[in-house]
Amino acid sequence: MPQAPFRHPAWLIGPGLAAAGILLVMTVAGLAALFWQAPLPALAELWQQPYLRRVLTFTLWQATLSTLLSLAVGLAVAMALARRAVFPGRGLLLRLMELSLVLPTIVAVSGLIGVFGRQGWLTRLADGWLPGWNLYGLGGILLAHVFFNAPLAGRLLLQALESVPAPRRRIASQLGLRGRWLWLALDWPAIRRVLPGITALVFTLCFTSFAIIMTLGGGPASTTLEVAIYQSLRFEFDFGRAALLAVVQLALCGLLWLLLVRRAPTRGLAPDRRLPEPIRRPDQGGLRALRDRALLLVFSLFLVMPLAAVLIRGLPGLTGMFLQGGAPLATLWHATLRSFAIALPAGLMSVLAALCLLALGNRGGRYLAPLSPLTTAIPLMVPPIVLGTGLFLLLRPSLGDAAQGMALVALINGLMALPFVAQLLRGPLNSLDAASLRQADQLGLLGWYRWRWLYWPKLKQPLALALAYGIALSLGDFGVIALFGAPQEPTLPVLLFQQLGSYRTEQASGTALWLGLMLLLVFLSLGRLGQPKAGRPATTLSTTRVHHA
Amino acid sequence: MLDVRDLTFHYPGGARWQFQFTLAPGECLAVAGPSGSGKSTLMNLLAGFLTPDAGSIQWRGRELVGTPPWARPMTSVFQEHNLFEHLDVTTNLGLGMDPGLRLTARQRQRIADGLKALGLEGFGQRMPGDLSGGQRQRVAVLRALLRDQPILLLDEPLTGLDPEARALLRDLLLAQKAEGRLLVLASHDAEDRDVLADRLLPV
Repeated sequence: MPQAPFRHPAWLIGPGLAAAGILLVMTVAGLAALFWQAPLPALAELWQQPYLRRVLTFTLWQATLSTLLSLAVGLAVAMALARRAVFPGRGLLLRLMELSLVLPTIVAVSGLIGVFGRQGWLTRLADGWLPGWNLYGLGGILLAHVFFNAPLAGRLLLQALESVPAPRRRIASQLGLRGRWLWLALDWPAIRRVLPGITALVFTLCFTSFAIIMTLGGGPASTTLEVAIYQSLRFEFDFGRAALLAVVQLALCGLLWLLLVRRAPTRGLAPDRRLPEPIRRPDQGGLRALRDRALLLVFSLFLVMPLAAVLIRGLPGLTGMFLQGGAPLATLWHATLRSFAIALPAGLMSVLAALCLLALGNRGGRYLAPLSPLTTAIPLMVPPIVLGTGLFLLLRPSLGDAAQGMALVALINGLMALPFVAQLLRGPLNSLDAASLRQADQLGLLGWYRWRWLYWPKLKQPLALALAYGIALSLGDFGVIALFGAPQEPTLPVLLFQQLGSYRTEQASGTALWLGLMLLLVFLSLGRLGQPKAGRPATTLSTTRVHHA
Repeated sequence: MLDVRDLTFHYPGGARWQFQFTLAPGECLAVAGPSGSGKSTLMNLLAGFLTPDAGSIQWRGRELVGTPPWARPMTSVFQEHNLFEHLDVTTNLGLGMDPGLRLTARQRQRIADGLKALGLEGFGQRMPGDLSGGQRQRVAVLRALLRDQPILLLDEPLTGLDPEARALLRDLLLAQKAEGRLLVLASHDAEDRDVLADRLLPV
């Protein structure tokens, strides 16, 4: 029997070990640099400094409020969706709720400004009804956080509600349980299991939010830890303070991770295409149905309107840029190229690292396999900006030209996408059943052949989707790039931020739309790449291609 | 000669089995017993999917315990799940001959001839999911035969098939015996055992 290339078992764990090693070294080196710049005794004095106390208090306060609001909205929407398992547009609404995972924060903010800003549609519509409303400040931060996190919480809670076994749901339906009893018998037990994890996940996301605070914060009163780190590094050149803040950020996120986030249903981070078995619930008729419909309509509008604002307000700006040409168009092109120059390697890196790490998790045995979940979860434990700060401090003297900075941004962006990408690939990679593996063993489908004939056909589409997610997350990044990027050489999100900051609203709207279109392009082209060709089964052996051995 | 001696195995906290038999080329050994009696365990031990606690499996004087499944002179046909569902029939068959699928013209011709002989002409591009149970099992047996291994391990290969497919596969297996292949058959069905087997191993 011919020997399969890469058949040695070391090929299954070697690349994963290398990837885990690089990630761990990078993390440890970054964190070591932080601790070196922020010696531990200083931490004890942290609370004595009014500035730091104010920053920390506001960070916790906005994260707590955002989490509570996101969970309340998410739960109401999840319950309404669970009660209404079938209605026209349900699938579309769920897709819309997935969008919050990839929609660049800065694009969404531009849309929110178009709806809720001073000149926004709703603000003008509610003329005088909302005295004192200002999008810039705590109100805007909360609104944007709910826009991003309520759909996430809603999807995760809906998954939990739909995971209740069908027989139990049928019995509840047969018994005619309603109101409190239905909640106690069916919904609460399902939600209770996942609620702490989801709360911690949403809290972490709000706690580490950067772009929203930068754009909608509205001034020093709304400074969070992430923004304070950025300001210390970029404007005040106070590296010690940046390191100290990053250590505090790390301690809080690490603690949250250890206590709760690791138990969060992270499968919900990836899109889910399954449909639950539609079983009629006793509480889905009457007035409740009307309320559910109204809620889902308002929620859909809440998600759609900012997107529509990006489109409608962006079209004139973008067309203007293309028609007039000149410097704005050249800047847009250069920013686009720069964005892709970072996002493509970042996406590829995250997919490759995820594959290697997942293989290590499957084949690494008792001692090496645990490295896989640990390293894929690093970005959830160590916020990218914390890691970025550490690496910035470590490499500062030698970080010379812009290309080196961009390479580092790509590396951290790739790492940032790792948990999402790994989640998308984990299922398909583990979907080979015992019978197939037994057959493969007997037929000698090892190494490259096993990948070629068994894994590749199953992974082709998920890989394309995962790559699209990896690229999209990096394309929309406005965190790490703000730290390392040069303002005169912006990526698309940085350009958008600059335009928003200098009140070039028409150009900003055009750039936001352009960034959205680039994301669409990535998903459409990679989605097409992963699909089998029409009229052909998934994998075939052509009878006309004869190889003479 | 296949020589199985004191081959013992136990699942953690479960029953313990011991097998012993010899088998000459052209012979068929039927392993008989109720569900859970260890028929499939013996098949998996022979194929190398399970590692025995002790004992030996010798083929022509060569020890097979410790040899990985792909290097053993045997091929298995199970009651179901014999084919890769995402690969078409020809690819499933081709992988049995060369895991790199670099097939020679002669090998391709053998696939075509085999399909024709089993009444599956024109089925090469179909996916396993588009075939009936009998057709799938015919493809599975054909792949086992195309692998040219001297020992066939048949774990309930005819269970659940319609009479026509059953008769066709029985004839095919009898022909393999006549050619000197060695068959180990695990089957609930007394008729299959009567037709195919020379000896019985109760477990």
